[in-house]
Amino acid sequence: MSRYVLSRIGQAVLVLWAAYTVTFVILYLLPSDPVAIMLSANNVEVDSLTAEQRDAAVARLGLDRPVWEQYLGMLGAALRGDFGTSFAKQIPVSELLAQRLPATVTLSAVAVGFALVGGVATAFGATLLPRGRVASFVRRLPAAGVSVPNFWIGLLLIQVFAFTLGWFPAMGSEGWQSYVLPAVTMAIPTAAVLAQVLIRSFDDTLDEPYIATARAKGLSRFAVQVRHAFRNAALPTLTILGLLVGATVTGSIVVETVFSRHGVGRLAQESVLAQDIPVVQAIVVLAAAAFVVVNLIVDLLYPLLDPRIARTPRVSRA
Amino acid sequence: MSTHRYRTPALAALAAASVVMMAGCATATEGGTTVEPTGDPVAGGELTLEFWPDNAAFACVDPFQTYWIEHRQVIRNVADSLTDQNPETGEIVPWLATDWEISPDALTYTFHLRDDVTFTDGTAFTADSVVLALDSAVETLEAAPGAYGGVYISGYESSTAVDDTTVEIHFATPNAAFLQGTSTTNLAILAASSYEATPEERCLGDVVGSGAFVLDRYAPGEGIDLSKRDGYAWASELNAHQGEAYLDTVRINYVAEDSVRVGNLASGASDIAWPRNPFTPEDAALLESSGATLHSRSLPGPSQAWYPNVSDGRPLAELEVRQALQKAIDRETYAATIYGPDYPVVEGPFDTTTPFFVSQADALAYDPEGAGELLDAAGWVLEDGATYRTRDGETLTLEAPITAETPGDVLLQDQLKQIGIDLQLPVYQASERASLTANGEYDLLVTYYTRADPGVLAWILDERYAGSKAFAANSQTAETAVAVQALFDAGVQETDPEARAAHYAELQRLLVEEGVSFPIFERVQYAATAPGVNGFRYTSESFLSYYDIWKSAE
Repeated sequence: MSRYVLSRIGQAVLVLWAAYTVTFVILYLLPSDPVAIMLSANNVEVDSLTAEQRDAAVARLGLDRPVWEQYLGMLGAALRGDFGTSFAKQIPVSELLAQRLPATVTLSAVAVGFALVGGVATAFGATLLPRGRVASFVRRLPAAGVSVPNFWIGLLLIQVFAFTLGWFPAMGSEGWQSYVLPAVTMAIPTAAVLAQVLIRSFDDTLDEPYIATARAKGLSRFAVQVRHAFRNAALPTLTILGLLVGATVTGSIVVETVFSRHGVGRLAQESVLAQDIPVVQAIVVLAAAAFVVVNLIVDLLYPLLDPRIARTPRVSRA
Repeated sequence: MSTHRYRTPALAALAAASVVMMAGCATATEGGTTVEPTGDPVAGGELTLEFWPDNAAFACVDPFQTYWIEHRQVIRNVADSLTDQNPETGEIVPWLATDWEISPDALTYTFHLRDDVTFTDGTAFTADSVVLALDSAVETLEAAPGAYGGVYISGYESSTAVDDTTVEIHFATPNAAFLQGTSTTNLAILAASSYEATPEERCLGDVVGSGAFVLDRYAPGEGIDLSKRDGYAWASELNAHQGEAYLDTVRINYVAEDSVRVGNLASGASDIAWPRNPFTPEDAALLESSGATLHSRSLPGPSQAWYPNVSDGRPLAELEVRQALQKAIDRETYAATIYGPDYPVVEGPFDTTTPFFVSQADALAYDPEGAGELLDAAGWVLEDGATYRTRDGETLTLEAPITAETPGDVLLQDQLKQIGIDLQLPVYQASERASLTANGEYDLLVTYYTRADPGVLAWILDERYAGSKAFAANSQTAETAVAVQALFDAGVQETDPEARAAHYAELQRLLVEEGVSFPIFERVQYAATAPGVNGFRYTSESFLSYYDIWKSAE
């Protein structure tokens, strides 16, 4: 058991390091000119500088050192939580993230909550309802939810619930009302994916002989589904949920832009536009960390749901 | 105070209109009537203003450094300048300075100052404040060579406080545009405490001015909060009233989605929508039907224009090709198609609100036949059945790199195709612009500045001052550059208004004739105000003054 836990944690650390390194290579070593990018962030065109001014700028930014030294220095600083200073906003990246992160984390948590409730309810509805038009309609809902673009759902919700009905604000981050529309927007595709996977697992699980046995003992359909089928059908859904929680970091980019919220997603969008390298790098690492931590939690939950998993650690699970 | 705030009648009207539209039987609504201010101005209340997104590349509200027009608008209401400029006439009028003299050689400016002005931190505004502001500007310019305010103080040498209310400003080279410069936000005077802060700290909101509003908070990307300055008593004569501002607070939000900004105003959740791009005809109709009032004024300074790359080996190195291109752009169709039938047609290298503007409409007339003849004469001929002109087997291709494709770009592409020019629109990242210009890998590039003085174009086209030397050098032949620089110098050094006007008229003619500027459209600042918002006023730079604004009792 402990060996299983240790190997999972080791993998998580490896993934984080890889994410940091790959971002460093992409952002700093690709054939673009970091000096020009940094200077143009301050509205200085690099060609308006003399050679000495340019050399001074390069030295100030630490870009005159060998690549390895730069990499190790930045990695060391990052380990201490120091991601440098934003080119565009001139404040430490860690401070910037501390300002922006709470809004995104709360929104993501609410969205995942909505997605879980919506996804599971849809799956139960699709499998419990008597076969017919209603059941087949519910069964097809997830496909629609996955296919509809996120920003469009957001704009539609704003049009109806903010502009027409006036129930919720179209923007801002004040009060619980401001969470409803963005969280619903973020939750719809997530809920749809969850429902799709769960419906599929239910279909498979409900064909198992032990379900027939449970039914033969006189349990109701509902009781069988909740007590016997759900726990077994939930494993693939849990895997997907791990990925989807991580994906809320990327989902927040669109949602925060549409709803004018000030979170990490908006920050990512602004920073990519401005080529604000330290901020982009910190956000990539942060998103990777979100994926890694959630998947680590999921990995550690598996043995609790299905004890067979921890006992056969050598068997690869795709 | 929450942003979620509705005026009941407006909401009811909108809800009713939406229901009607949803039912699929939209009928003409009764909206669209302009509500005239009723009764005397009422003090108090909060104004909610929505901008498009904050500057992602350079978060800065320091008057001297920022170029972002929304930031400059906020600064206009927070920090006062020595002078103010009449938006109608371009005339410079007293503000913090009561009067001034300019030496005949335009090397020395003497300003006599008000003695009753204080900054919001309680310190007094004196001649020393002006000296400190200008010396600090020079320091800032050394740290950040591209700082926007640099354009206003070219040739600045030193300044001295003669007594508490008299300041002398000395220039090494004549600078006739300086007087107008003193009316801009970039030369607004801040309190000594602001200049003790670093340029970075000033950017992030360490800005203490003497304005009618106090900058309480600047959160980059999120918003700006202002509150009324108690005891304000030195508004310029261009305002409708004197004394303190009417509004208690002004709250500014950045809203990325145009449709959300428009919807918020129409549903009563905001008071003023201030977009960067003109409202689409659909948005304008929605706003008017909700009872909002639309405002528009051209932004002074260069119009939206292409500047060429005339380096050797490039198609635009030939004057005939440049002149043909000038005739090949159908500017009337552009304005009507892209921005709607009422949109003004661009008439020259400058927008119409720029002082010394002279219309070049005749030289910019659409003339496809004339363009074709010029190209034929230059050897670029259209073979039978060919779409594009060729010469010695080479196609006439122009590259106009863009950051994101707009309908306007595609329209221009089509217009040039009509006369056989192949316009390519490669997409580049904003950060690649420096290498793009330095390597000359383009034929046409767009840029613009906002300032109510024609001399600002030197910052684009005059290699000695330009933000990008390469861009300026590429834009004209060596002979043209000599003539253009002489006209810029004459415009800045000439203090006689009539002679100055003549120099700038010649400059505008030359830029069009030589194909240095290819105007595309007039840049217009639109705004919409909700019912009950009165006292809307554009400044000379087409910014919004919050000072006269008051809200009718609901």
